[in-house]
Amino acid sequence: MDDLTREFLLESQEGLDRMERCLTDLETRPGDTELLAEIFRSVHTIKGTTGFLGFGRLEVLSHAGENLLGLLRDGSLAVSPEIISGLLALMDSLRSILRAIEATGAEGERCSEDGEMIARLEVLQNQGSTFTQAEIPAAVAVAHSAAPRKARTPRQRSAPRNAPRPLAPRSRKVSPPPAGPEPRAAGEAGPHGGTGAVSPPLQSVRQQASLSAEEIAPVALRPTVDRTRQAPAEAPSMPSGGTADSTLRVDVELLNRMMNLVGELVLTRNQILQATSADAGFALLGRRLDMVTADLRESVMRARMQPVSHVFSRFPRLVRDLARGLDKRVQLELEGQETELDKSLLEAIRDPLTHAIRNAVDHGIESPEQRIAAGKPAEGLLRLRACHEGSHVIVEVHDDGAGMNIERIRDKAVERQLVSPARAEQMGEREILQLIFLPGFSTASAVTSVSGRGVGMDVVRTNVEKIGGKVEIDSRAGQGTVLRLRIPLTLAIIPALIVRSRGQNFAVPQSSLTELVHLSAGEADGRIERLESAALYRLRGRLLPLIFLDRLLEQPARERSRACDIAVLNADGRRFGLVVDGLADPEEIVVKPLAAVLRAIGYYAGATILGNGEMALILNPGAIAQNAGVGLTGDADENLADETRNAQQDFLLVEADGRRAALPLETVLRIERIPRSRIEWAGARPVLRFEGALLPLDDRAGQAAGDDPDAQATVVVCRDGKRQVGMSVAHVLDVAGGRQLEEAGSGAVAEGITLLQEHVTGIVSLAAIPSLDGVSGHASSEFPAEAR
Amino acid sequence: MNDTSVQPSHQVCSVRVGETLYGVPIAHVLEILGKPPTQPVPLAPGFVGGLVHYRGEVITAVSLRRLLGMEPSPAREDVLVFETPEGPFGLFVDSVGEVMQVSDADHEPNPATLESRRQALFAGAWKLKDQLLVSLEPERLEPMRLAASFAG
Repeated sequence: MDDLTREFLLESQEGLDRMERCLTDLETRPGDTELLAEIFRSVHTIKGTTGFLGFGRLEVLSHAGENLLGLLRDGSLAVSPEIISGLLALMDSLRSILRAIEATGAEGERCSEDGEMIARLEVLQNQGSTFTQAEIPAAVAVAHSAAPRKARTPRQRSAPRNAPRPLAPRSRKVSPPPAGPEPRAAGEAGPHGGTGAVSPPLQSVRQQASLSAEEIAPVALRPTVDRTRQAPAEAPSMPSGGTADSTLRVDVELLNRMMNLVGELVLTRNQILQATSADAGFALLGRRLDMVTADLRESVMRARMQPVSHVFSRFPRLVRDLARGLDKRVQLELEGQETELDKSLLEAIRDPLTHAIRNAVDHGIESPEQRIAAGKPAEGLLRLRACHEGSHVIVEVHDDGAGMNIERIRDKAVERQLVSPARAEQMGEREILQLIFLPGFSTASAVTSVSGRGVGMDVVRTNVEKIGGKVEIDSRAGQGTVLRLRIPLTLAIIPALIVRSRGQNFAVPQSSLTELVHLSAGEADGRIERLESAALYRLRGRLLPLIFLDRLLEQPARERSRACDIAVLNADGRRFGLVVDGLADPEEIVVKPLAAVLRAIGYYAGATILGNGEMALILNPGAIAQNAGVGLTGDADENLADETRNAQQDFLLVEADGRRAALPLETVLRIERIPRSRIEWAGARPVLRFEGALLPLDDRAGQAAGDDPDAQATVVVCRDGKRQVGMSVAHVLDVAGGRQLEEAGSGAVAEGITLLQEHVTGIVSLAAIPSLDGVSGHASSEFPAEAR
Repeated sequence: MNDTSVQPSHQVCSVRVGETLYGVPIAHVLEILGKPPTQPVPLAPGFVGGLVHYRGEVITAVSLRRLLGMEPSPAREDVLVFETPEGPFGLFVDSVGEVMQVSDADHEPNPATLESRRQALFAGAWKLKDQLLVSLEPERLEPMRLAASFAG
């Protein structure tokens, strides 16, 4: 296929996308002449270009559409749902021909269908005249003032752009004013097109393109010619034209290359920072380099971003068609369309979102009768919202339909044996909702043409998790359902935990990491249990299947009874513990692709270069779990169990003063490692200056530490009501879930103690740490804080 | 190759693996990496020596020793980097020597008695004054091609 045709396909597809958006808008705003003008232009451009490219089918079809649109534009015909449907159908025909051209290079022959389509459009043309005479002339009056102006700006841009662009990447000599014939440019095109035969059509494109501009907006012809000279001066005064002048198309390949180089720079920066951390002068430069690199990385990443409207734009049509097919009334609201997301991620969420929307219209929103009976407006509301949240983009699909039927989901899950009946009885609403993500779950009582074929939310979840995202669902009976996709902003640089196995580094994406368990040399043998050949670990009373990384990768065998770490991973709903020799720091890593021969191994998602210059293979937890046969359903069950340990609470297990103590995890703000000399005394009370404020301290570890000025202290900073308090500890041991203890006989819940890792452990009473109210007077002036 | 009248001689980069001297056409070599750090890849096909960092990319390097069924080298090895349409790949050799001028007139095809694996890898040899210089063609060493023919 020659460049010209390829360019034509690209332009036409964009035109059709635009047209589709406008058509669905038109249905809600039938009097909007600007919309009509824009649709007309899209069709007209296609028609204009197809003629000389020899695509007769396209030309005839778009001509028929143009006629109908012409009547609409002139106001001699009023917009009706039938006309919109007809035009949408026309677009589908045009699209399918474009696809055929893309695949085969030719339009294919299906004239009978074309004939029917044309006949349909003609019928629509003739049936017209249902509008009120008063309304339309008014609209036309608006059109005369508004349409040509609006018509001009985009056309100015696209007319000259259309034509020379096929050449632009290769022959830079093409001069911007495109009106006159340019033999030189045409000649240069020759070699790329294969023969010199490309040049005549090329000129025709130009003429045709500027011609079409002339036809639509005669006033605008002259500006078209010297557009390039005027553009900069015009830009500030013409905000509508400004965007196009300040943007340009960039080859994705080039962006990928830039992204690679930036990644490389990030690595070099990491290495420099590590190598120079000791030298104060360098550290300053290093920090500056760090900032510049971060900025640059951000900019390049931004360049790969596209607004979600690229994906959202197809949904008005989808919702309209679905609703009509199901005899429902649905209004679609799009919010945050300008939210940007990496191009590849945007592509990846297209299908899951489409599925979610189908679900919402099909199962979520009720029929108008049901809605009215339920006291809701007959028209359902489907809201699609995108927004940024930290390093993620949240996309929400929110319907105000009937909501999920918890009982039905429960019954279905039991019926499909996804959970045991006993387990299902105990589950709360939130848990039950999560069941719909299990494979093979579908609640559609009747299989409709839209959804409910057994492949459902599990596919949505799998697809979203594949790109490191997460899916959440929330539903209220009678009020509706919210499906929330949480998508990372970018793929190329990911946070990862570096683990070591047999002296080699491996990176585990943080997105699949849920927690870490350390087993000391003594514990390793005892705590890892075996069931036949399967190794298991009891994590808060539930069995976690273990995979030994060294065995998986057939690395040399490890000595027994060595300390190890278990990285608890959750990949695509599969939960398992990856046993590794040790952990290194988490890092932001740049994903480098692997050669095909190594990709074929299956366990690696790529490779990376770490801050210390060493390389690491990036593990693919999903593939590892799947290969090792880690099951899905049981683990999902386990997940749920984790989420709902109602009677359980998570604690930070610490050791202080030679004893184990538990701090409620939700009160822990951070853990600081400080020199003991920073602990000061306000009167008899230990305090710590922390972020500009004084922190009352429970210095339990202090007694044991003695007076060594170089000693380090670990301080757990906690929230106690409104105040913050600190507790110095000897070690932070673990995070664990504690169970309530009941007094024998009475059954009363014991306060202040909990069962942690099979030990009765005291819970630290934060309220018992004395407040500073009473001492503030002494501490500040009369008795200056005395360093210990 | 044997057309002596057109191109009588060309430059090859000599590399040593074990006792044998090999020659690689210099035009095919993108870069020579001197004893770079390497990262082994568990479960990789046998001919893969490991990963090497090359200009911001992580490339797969084939080990000539492993290909020839030799013991792994005790010391760090040099890496030659070659370009393919799928991207660059590396070749581990014991050491890279000088660039030599060889004449096609001195080139002989592989002897029929050569073991089959080596038949597939070598592209004949040049007769130097005192020894043979085995001809290596980078395209025969591409990882994908090796994966297809050796399968480990």
